[in-house]
Amino acid sequence: MTILESAVQAQGLNLSYEGRSALDCVSLQVPTGAVVGLVGHNGAGKSTLLRCLVGLTLPDSGHSELLGCPSAQLDKVTRGRLGYVSQTADLLPWLKVWQHIEYIGHFYPRWRAERAHALCARLALRESAKVSALSVGDQQKLALVLALAHDPDLLLLDEPVASLDPLARRDFMRLLFEGDSARSAPRTVLLSSHLLTDLERVVSHVVVMRAGRVQLQGEWDALQESNGRSLEDLFVALNGSPA
Amino acid sequence: MRFSIQPSAAEPIYRQIVEQVRRHVDSGQWRAGEELPSVRSLAQEHAINPMTVSKAYSLLEAEGLLERRRGMGMVIAAVKPSSRASQRLALLAPALQAAALQAAQLGLSAEDALALFKRCLQDQARGDHNDDNP
Repeated sequence: MTILESAVQAQGLNLSYEGRSALDCVSLQVPTGAVVGLVGHNGAGKSTLLRCLVGLTLPDSGHSELLGCPSAQLDKVTRGRLGYVSQTADLLPWLKVWQHIEYIGHFYPRWRAERAHALCARLALRESAKVSALSVGDQQKLALVLALAHDPDLLLLDEPVASLDPLARRDFMRLLFEGDSARSAPRTVLLSSHLLTDLERVVSHVVVMRAGRVQLQGEWDALQESNGRSLEDLFVALNGSPA
Repeated sequence: MRFSIQPSAAEPIYRQIVEQVRRHVDSGQWRAGEELPSVRSLAQEHAINPMTVSKAYSLLEAEGLLERRRGMGMVIAAVKPSSRASQRLALLAPALQAAALQAAQLGLSAEDALALFKRCLQDQARGDHNDDNP
């Protein structure tokens, strides 16, 4: 498998709902191996952008590719290399956790059951519990296990840690970098979050969105060095209020 | 070897690692031949991006402060530490200049600022590190 320079590419994505612009000429370049923090207020367009990138929402115009494959026509191989967690976990409430894991595993050739079990243990998620009985935080954990158990090359996560407590968030940040040590290229991650201090630990790049536009994007170390500010302070300076 | 990483500091994490290695080597607390934690273990411990640790180690290697040893990972290189107190004070100066500026902006008196610095030094000696580890 050749290693692409960009794991995610988007050019001029536009989308409007009822006359309001949800995405306004959004262009992105995410190098392979980057960990990108997507930040912005509610309604800034983060979730819409992630949905467009994975092909769940079609833009009015513009083009995007994941791992070299057009978002609108993701093939089976590319889908097998992706992990995506939406803001509201789409789970099957009538199954037990272990049954859910087994069910999703059938769709992924690279799925490893032992990895899924280890992830549950790491996140303290009880596999015998019924999905409908899980707390919001535990549902989020299950969605993460399902997105990580096939060791994806590209992870897109929409507010993955919003309902987790600080220790679980820390554990989750560690999991982002775990996987098959023999992989040919490091995993690429694009994640949105309001919890900027958590992002600061792990991001190599940040993308700041406002009103459907990309306000700022770049390498975080360089941005921080030229600004001398934390991500929270930079965000407040750009947006006038905290994330 | 313990690192103290503060994600919300104004200083990038890779630079925090670089500066801490420099200071410990300069003061002679970390000596030539001592092994640094592996990239993976340091990243895991602080839940940070392994590439950040790699970047810090590579910079220190380029500076000659660290050496890559086969089968061991990174070790402190065999260079003479600048052990003279004046050199070590020079390394501390930028942090104190920044603190002095903030003290002035906050309208604090020199006595209050010095008392606070003294307290910080005492906390440090007692082991109350301002570290984020659980």
